[in-house]
Amino acid sequence: MTVVLTPEMVGQVLISGVLSGALYAMVALGLALIYGVMRVINIAHGPMLMLGAYVTFFLYSRTGMNPLLTVPVAMAALFVVGVVLQRTLVFRVVDAPELSSLLLTFGISIALVNLAQNAFTSDLRSVEYITGSWLIGNFALSKPRFIAFVFAAAMTGVAFLFLKATRLGKAIRATSQSREVAMVCGIDVARIHLLTFGLASALAAGGGALLAVIVAIQPEMGGVWTFKSFLVIVLGGAGNYPGALLGGLLLGLVEQLASLFLTTQLSEVVAYVLLVLVLLVRPTGLLGGRQT
Amino acid sequence: MNARRGWFLGALSLSVVVALAIYPAFGTGYGVRSTLQIFMWIALAGSWNLISGLTGYVSFGHVAFFGIGAYAGAILVTSAGWSWPTAALAGGVAAVLLALLIGYPCLRLKGPYFAIAMLGLNEVVRALVSYFEGLTGGGNGLSLPTADVTRSIYYVMGLLAVVIIAGTYLIITSRFGLRLMTIREDEVAAEAMGIDTFHHKLAAFLLSAVGPGVAGALTARDQGYIEPISVFPLAVTVTMIVMVLFGGKGTVWGPVLGAVALFVIQELVWAHYPYVHPLLFGAIIVAVVLLMPRGVLGLLQLKYHLPRTI
Repeated sequence: MTVVLTPEMVGQVLISGVLSGALYAMVALGLALIYGVMRVINIAHGPMLMLGAYVTFFLYSRTGMNPLLTVPVAMAALFVVGVVLQRTLVFRVVDAPELSSLLLTFGISIALVNLAQNAFTSDLRSVEYITGSWLIGNFALSKPRFIAFVFAAAMTGVAFLFLKATRLGKAIRATSQSREVAMVCGIDVARIHLLTFGLASALAAGGGALLAVIVAIQPEMGGVWTFKSFLVIVLGGAGNYPGALLGGLLLGLVEQLASLFLTTQLSEVVAYVLLVLVLLVRPTGLLGGRQT
Repeated sequence: MNARRGWFLGALSLSVVVALAIYPAFGTGYGVRSTLQIFMWIALAGSWNLISGLTGYVSFGHVAFFGIGAYAGAILVTSAGWSWPTAALAGGVAAVLLALLIGYPCLRLKGPYFAIAMLGLNEVVRALVSYFEGLTGGGNGLSLPTADVTRSIYYVMGLLAVVIIAGTYLIITSRFGLRLMTIREDEVAAEAMGIDTFHHKLAAFLLSAVGPGVAGALTARDQGYIEPISVFPLAVTVTMIVMVLFGGKGTVWGPVLGAVALFVIQELVWAHYPYVHPLLFGAIIVAVVLLMPRGVLGLLQLKYHLPRTI
């Protein structure tokens, strides 16, 4: 099979890649925050995204609320869920061996998915809000994807500003650099952990809410997002927050590029091969290891 | 272990083996099939225990080895005309090759890389199996020529379970096993002691893939028909994990105890509540990790000062 690459195709790939990359970056930033601050990989990150998507779906279909206005509601709701999970379960395994935190969040993850299957059924649901594309020259710009991109980019920007400029953000970064030193400096580390888990869940929920506008949702949609978010932070360099941005864009571009050559059926395979290759060649990621 | 207890345990295991060996002669079809499934779960749980129980590296995708073994076995039986016992061995080999492909890049690193890579593996293998329709039949699945071999497979699966239990005992009592457990307790210290952690982890991982591969090929032959959703369900991995955690990870008999106990409970009680099954399993994982991290056998070991080799 030969595919002739025209400039139009390359341009289209760049556009679609950047559009989906921003969403990847936003969701992965959440996973990166939890990992950076607590050294816990939250397997339930994808299911949190799924719950965020359902908040948007139900607010839209039951109350007719504008889906874009539901995004902050979904984020706030899942912030609370995240804080509750951290406060009741996850804090117990923060200092435990990795096996414990992986298994615990895995257990939470399958429980959440099953709860959603029982409560919401496994039917595919979609939010038909904005459809169609803008045509700019030879390029098509999908309206829902573009709006999701703008939201995701804005929220990722706000999250970075928060981490960079506010006292709480600095406290989060300090905790992720060294918990002991942060503690000595008078930072309430347990509270920072709560806040981090809440924020991370809110970022995932925001991603889910935007995703609900783009694609049909169902309870098992989250699993692949845990995996892809992890891939994004590995690409950028685990523990390196700006790396998540780069990793997200890269994953978006690679996936779109691959879609020129392969069926979408194999898009997960592409992401997987990418992960294995990065681990083989440059496991510290593109921007290198832990800096904040 | 004193001599009298040794004799007692020896006699007990011998009578259990004899009873299970003559069981198909008078057992009902349902009974034989259920016992066969218990053998399979012992083999699967015991295999998961080899990598995750001994080294502490969590495999979230062990069902991929089961599925790849099922497909390798089924394809060799249908297309190449192999006999099912040889095809079952080939299923084990296929699983080991897949494990090598994933283990080589992921186990060189410390930390969560391996766990996440395994989390994605199952979906990827399933997508590939569905994609290569010419070989695998795609979503239509693959039918094997009819043959009534359930009773023979009963014995082979039983043998597989015994081999895995005995292998676990040999590993746990060997220097190799001690090194694996050192990696679990403190990988940096293990490295400092001169243990080649990468090759030890990889060896444990490859060994842990054999059982699911063979079991998959045997199950494919027994059921006569496989399709991607029937041999790659996440639920199988979850069940393996729950069995080992419940019984006691890193022990010889913990996976056996967990497999038998959970299978019986599942058949008697939970079969009536299929919709909340994953919720229960998720809750058990959370509860065991927080409240009983050593599992039932680990608790007994601690309380009654039982030997580590139980």
